[in-house]
Amino acid sequence: MSMLTRRQFVQVGSIAAAGLLAGCGSSGSDAADAAPQAADGEYTVVNEGKLTCISNLFFPPFESMNETTGDPEGFDIDVSKSLAEHLGLEVNWLPSQDFDTLVPTIKNGGKADIAIAGMTITDARQAEVDMSDPYVDSNQSIVVKAGSTETAESLDDASKTIAVQGGTTGADWADENLPNATKKRLSTIIDAMSGVQSGLYDAVVCDLPVSRYQIKMSYSDLEIIEEIPTGEQYGIAISKDNPGLTAAINAALAEMQEDGSMAAIEAEWFGSEL
Amino acid sequence: MSNTRRGTKWGLAALVAMLAVAFALAAPHSAYALTTNKATARPNENGGSGVIGGLATRLTWEGTVEEGEKVSSVTLVLPEGGTFDGSSTKITVLEGLSRAKVEGTATPADTQLEVTFSEPIEAGYLLRLEVEGMKFPADGGEVSVGGSYVNQDGEQQLAESKPIKTIANTPLQALVATLDEAPWVQAWNSNPFLGMFFKPQLLATAFATLVPGWLLCLLIVVIAYPFAIVLGLIFALMKISKNPLLRLIAIVYINILRGTPLFLQIYIMFFGLPMMNINIDNNVLGVIVIAINASAYLAEIFRAGIQSIPQGQYEAASSLGMNYFQTMFDIILPQTIRRVIPTVTSDFITSYKDTSLLSSVGVMELMMFAKNLTSVSGNMTPYVAAAIFYLIVTLPLIKAVGYVEQRIANSERGGGPRPKGKAAVKAASAGEATPLPSELGVHFEAARDDAFGTSVSPLAPVAVQEV
Repeated sequence: MSMLTRRQFVQVGSIAAAGLLAGCGSSGSDAADAAPQAADGEYTVVNEGKLTCISNLFFPPFESMNETTGDPEGFDIDVSKSLAEHLGLEVNWLPSQDFDTLVPTIKNGGKADIAIAGMTITDARQAEVDMSDPYVDSNQSIVVKAGSTETAESLDDASKTIAVQGGTTGADWADENLPNATKKRLSTIIDAMSGVQSGLYDAVVCDLPVSRYQIKMSYSDLEIIEEIPTGEQYGIAISKDNPGLTAAINAALAEMQEDGSMAAIEAEWFGSEL
Repeated sequence: MSNTRRGTKWGLAALVAMLAVAFALAAPHSAYALTTNKATARPNENGGSGVIGGLATRLTWEGTVEEGEKVSSVTLVLPEGGTFDGSSTKITVLEGLSRAKVEGTATPADTQLEVTFSEPIEAGYLLRLEVEGMKFPADGGEVSVGGSYVNQDGEQQLAESKPIKTIANTPLQALVATLDEAPWVQAWNSNPFLGMFFKPQLLATAFATLVPGWLLCLLIVVIAYPFAIVLGLIFALMKISKNPLLRLIAIVYINILRGTPLFLQIYIMFFGLPMMNINIDNNVLGVIVIAINASAYLAEIFRAGIQSIPQGQYEAASSLGMNYFQTMFDIILPQTIRRVIPTVTSDFITSYKDTSLLSSVGVMELMMFAKNLTSVSGNMTPYVAAAIFYLIVTLPLIKAVGYVEQRIANSERGGGPRPKGKAAVKAASAGEATPLPSELGVHFEAARDDAFGTSVSPLAPVAVQEV
């Protein structure tokens, strides 16, 4: 790329600024378009005209950050974009936060509209926030170093350390099914897998789609020793104070199933796996 | 001899008989059309991992439908004292890893839970029942879940599950239960701020469960600090030495450690060392990381302290024929220590707080316990409790630093004890001066004597007086 002279730079800058202003203008008109919808759907968003999303961005293939740009990407991000499109809103992603803070953040409101984070619909979460209709099926898995002789039975021992991500159903599963092992709750699944790779922990319990993807993409020296059928389903967390948004999201999810946009996103991130 | 041999023989016979009985009992299990895979319960101990009887929890029961069978309903039965009343059941039917579309209804009735399905479950399917809000018998003990099911041939017995270990209620849980009931607690929690940050039930739980984490924090920093001081002193002396190689080593060491975040150093040590097959216990590694990190800061503090001692003292020492080490250890360092005590204490406070970073690599310290409790409860109160635990240590230290700083500042500008002032002497000899000034004077002197006479003198460099 050639160097810009100062004059050119100013010109480019002003064009960019104009574009930005135009962008604001159009998002403003989007908001205006969305307003009548909001009136009959009776929902509010934190930022005018935007669907503000939070997640833990270390959960590939559902959430991750692009290696070069740092932008969020993944299955859930595409779902959020499509959702926003169906709602006539613009998608707005906030920085990553720890998984176990997502439900409290949504519950308290004011920061984000939805948490879309590969989050299983559970009674405990539904007591705090509204969960949308399920949009993906999931299961659990136990991951160990490739070639390890561990089994689900041998891991249930005081000498074993199981890494889990705090606040996840994987952590609950380990608490319930491996009561004797030491559980380490970490902030991200990446920390957990790196820890198993380096021998710091004996195993990770996490969602099967994530472990499959991670082993395929980056952790080739790990393996799944047990696929645990739990039949859990992911939903989107929305504040209980915003039932209109839950209804609108459910309607949009149903539309996405019908018009094939969900299938397209699934094909992109899971191929034939799902 | 023969007796013991006979004993052995009898023992063997008994063992064989027991095995036979066990096999006889075990054999019918394979004949079940609905095999009980497992029954587990979610730990419901606040801040612990136990399953407590008499408190609501979630039972997960799994069974597989065997070859050639169809199951149309399942009834789970708890031992006497347990109850399914008030529970809600999530029914999941899976073929392999995919969900099958089978609907069902669950009807709780005291110790029984009857689950009927819209259509019979086919062979090979896995049935998962998650019963939220059920209670195990209050007196604890090992609890097996049994029951029955209905297949095409009628009602059959279910195999008893492997026993679930449950415990009776603990005093802490009892306290939490009382708090749950109390009207003032409910009013308190209805305020979103108080309920989210100062929930009384969770404060009680957190104070009880965070203690081990707090002790570990203290242990780590208390063990690490003496090492850090020694290392810091060595590198400080290296940095001011005349040997360029020693200086270079010290500069590289100090700058790298001060120029990178502790968080990064922790990651490198905790994830890097095991990759090189160096396996050190997590807590020991925590001590090492904190000690090394603090040593770099201490080195700079010590260096600044040493260099703040006037050049004249070195000259005076050498004029008395002292060598480098005598000068350092008898004259310079004793004065340095006194000057750096406040800064070192501040650094100690920082290191103590920095142990919280170790939670990210799985050291079971204070922050880790607080995070666990928060992730289980979805409430911020455990963090507030953790903050209190940090403050218990840091506030008195901050106070102490301020006090020591003040005293050192006083002594440095010559505000130490004096021979009695003229007014006081006069008052003492005459015995009839105006009472107010004399009293003030005496108090003042007494306070000074107390403060400086006792604690400054051990630190006061002997050599200076000689000089």
